[in-house]
Amino acid sequence: MKLLSRQALVGAAAIALLAAAGCSSSGSSPSTATSSSSFGVNATGTVQFWARSVSKDLAQKLVSEFNATHKNLQVKLTLTSINDDTTTLATSIRAGDPPDVVGLNDIDMPTFTENGSFMDLTSEIDKLPYKDDLSPGHMGLATDNGKLYGVPYWADLSVLWYNKTLFKRAGLNPNDPPTTYAQILSDAQKINKLGGGVNGFTFAGDCEGCLGFTVQPGIWAQGSYLTKGGLSNQTASITGNTALESALTFYRQMWTQKLVPDNDRTDDGTTWGEDFAAGKIGIMPAGYGQVVDLVKPSQLGSEFMDTPLPGQNGGYSTFDGGDDFAIPTAAKNPSGAWEFIQWVLQTQQQKQFPALGATPVRTDVLTPTFSAANPEDAVALKALAKGYAPVTLVYNQMFNEASGPWFQMFSTAVYDGNMSLALQQGQSGLTSLLQQASP
Amino acid sequence: MTSAGGIGRRVPALRGPGGHVPGGRGQGWRRLGGGGLSARRSRTGMILVSPAFAMVALFVLFPLGFAVYISLTNWPLIGPYHYVGGQNYSEIIHDQAFVHSVLFTLLYTAIVTVPIFVLGYLMALLVRSNRRGAVFFRTAFFLPYIIGLATESFILLLELQPDSGAVDFVLHKLGLAAATTAWTVNYGLALTAICVFVVWFASGLTMMLLMAGMNGIPAELYESADVDGATWWEKERRVTLPLLRRSIALSLIISVIGSFLAFNQFYILTEGGPGTSTEPVVMWIYQEAFVQYHLGYATAGAIVLVVVIAVISALQFYLLRDGDDKKAAR
Repeated sequence: MKLLSRQALVGAAAIALLAAAGCSSSGSSPSTATSSSSFGVNATGTVQFWARSVSKDLAQKLVSEFNATHKNLQVKLTLTSINDDTTTLATSIRAGDPPDVVGLNDIDMPTFTENGSFMDLTSEIDKLPYKDDLSPGHMGLATDNGKLYGVPYWADLSVLWYNKTLFKRAGLNPNDPPTTYAQILSDAQKINKLGGGVNGFTFAGDCEGCLGFTVQPGIWAQGSYLTKGGLSNQTASITGNTALESALTFYRQMWTQKLVPDNDRTDDGTTWGEDFAAGKIGIMPAGYGQVVDLVKPSQLGSEFMDTPLPGQNGGYSTFDGGDDFAIPTAAKNPSGAWEFIQWVLQTQQQKQFPALGATPVRTDVLTPTFSAANPEDAVALKALAKGYAPVTLVYNQMFNEASGPWFQMFSTAVYDGNMSLALQQGQSGLTSLLQQASP
Repeated sequence: MTSAGGIGRRVPALRGPGGHVPGGRGQGWRRLGGGGLSARRSRTGMILVSPAFAMVALFVLFPLGFAVYISLTNWPLIGPYHYVGGQNYSEIIHDQAFVHSVLFTLLYTAIVTVPIFVLGYLMALLVRSNRRGAVFFRTAFFLPYIIGLATESFILLLELQPDSGAVDFVLHKLGLAAATTAWTVNYGLALTAICVFVVWFASGLTMMLLMAGMNGIPAELYESADVDGATWWEKERRVTLPLLRRSIALSLIISVIGSFLAFNQFYILTEGGPGTSTEPVVMWIYQEAFVQYHLGYATAGAIVLVVVIAVISALQFYLLRDGDDKKAAR
């Protein structure tokens, strides 16, 4: 027993030493310069590329084509989990062994740019002739204190899908989709009257992230935002926000007038869009790629079509979702990574995005030829120019959590019908989170 | 179970003639002629357990020690951190969300533990013999546990959907609920559904543990009781239950620990909602660590959970020890 005790003491000491050693290896890495004229040109070796599994098809196709045309520079793709990609990346950065380039959910960019985890690419991005055509929402999230730490990789944009067949049956013009809340409501009422299990509208009512993705663009279309200021002095803008109030009222009307299926209330995103793809729904705000994945290619354009997400009185916007490219400061082959990124951003590669369920990230790709070949994705790409995504360190806490203030506000306003309480909850909840996150 | 334990305690190689453990200073060991044999046995024992000890040290003790260190820092997802001492712990006990999650976990544990045990015991009674159909029922009762909680939670999520799920359809036909009952977004309904689901899921494991214990009870004891004219109930009460004490303790401890560590079913079915009303403590830890990115604070919560589970398990071991253990303790 004594021997065991002594061994336990030795073991405990070893643990303490190992723990101390592990702890001492932390700290931010030095920033890496990109000023060399050869940066991103004729690089050699291997580039480790981590992409979220949600972009699997796109990433595999791009990497395959790049490797086939670049014999001296090979990209090795690793797919990461949709939900654990940030922790996986953070762990690799802490360990000093990050990938050379990462495709990161754009809303997570501030978490990493704020502490110098990514290379400052400002000088390289400034050289790009199409810099001003890059997705504004993606670029906003990759910007910190005027410096650019990433460029868009692919866009996942919210649009308003509608069923042309149901429009015709309801006596509506399928080539004249709604452009205001009032028109959506009116069209949904007419489609709802068709009966037979058909509903005019649908939303994933228990999926806070889905609602943030589809409801907020209507508010932005009115030129209004839920937060104000930069990362260091951000404040909530909920009470007195008439665009927000009109959006919540609009969804309240959909709910109380029973224009949506009953199970929308419990739809946590698992079955989101399935009833639309089954032809049972007239209008659905959702992602472009989401419906493309759910329906047959032959149904696109003929049965299902999209239009930009409008605001209360017109205008439109989109949630500029998807991923940004970034190069960790400790990347071993940053030059190779930048060469790969530039290649992906070339027009030739961008034009392949629609076939893979993604939207290009350059607005100058939108030409009459592109629109004719990809009419549904052209709608999303058109909205991209007016797209936005909130730049904050606490997006997930505010908008992607069941217990977050966004969903609490939405539930109180839409399901409980208490607008004033909802706005108070939203204001205090967002304010609290923003204060906690303030550097 | 009981008989196996009894045999184990009588293995001569593990005890000296004086009833002392190897390496002890009992009189019996001295009578054997010094520490030669004792030392050899001790060395052999140490060599045999050292690989296991090394594995435990590497994969349990080191991570646990490191976790304790992290809990004493303000460890973020990325970037520098610094030592904050016991600040995380002092904040946690005043954190209403943490306290609520602990209380909810206790409530959930209190609700499901007894039904899991009772149902598991009844099922074990049904399938313990080799009578016709026993194998079928044994398999059927254990199947939910084999399939897995996450898979079944996703299935249940679909079946709980209002207007389209099987649960509302059946209950509506029976006149027990509306066809549009929204189970997962109402605190009481969600907790009820999850508790019923977990009892169905976990009682199969309790059944297997208790059945193994029942099958280990010597048949002679029941034959002797028959000779004495004991009824079925008397045999259960006087023979089965006392000799099942260790199996019961094991099944209850596993059940309680499982309830304290509940995560999958809540994460999939309610995401802790509405609000945080159905958020168990492990989900609180997950949210703090991987959504809020407060890894140091979340780790402090995890350490508190480890301590609470250790205390409750020790308490259960103490309360459910059998006669031999009590004598040994004295």
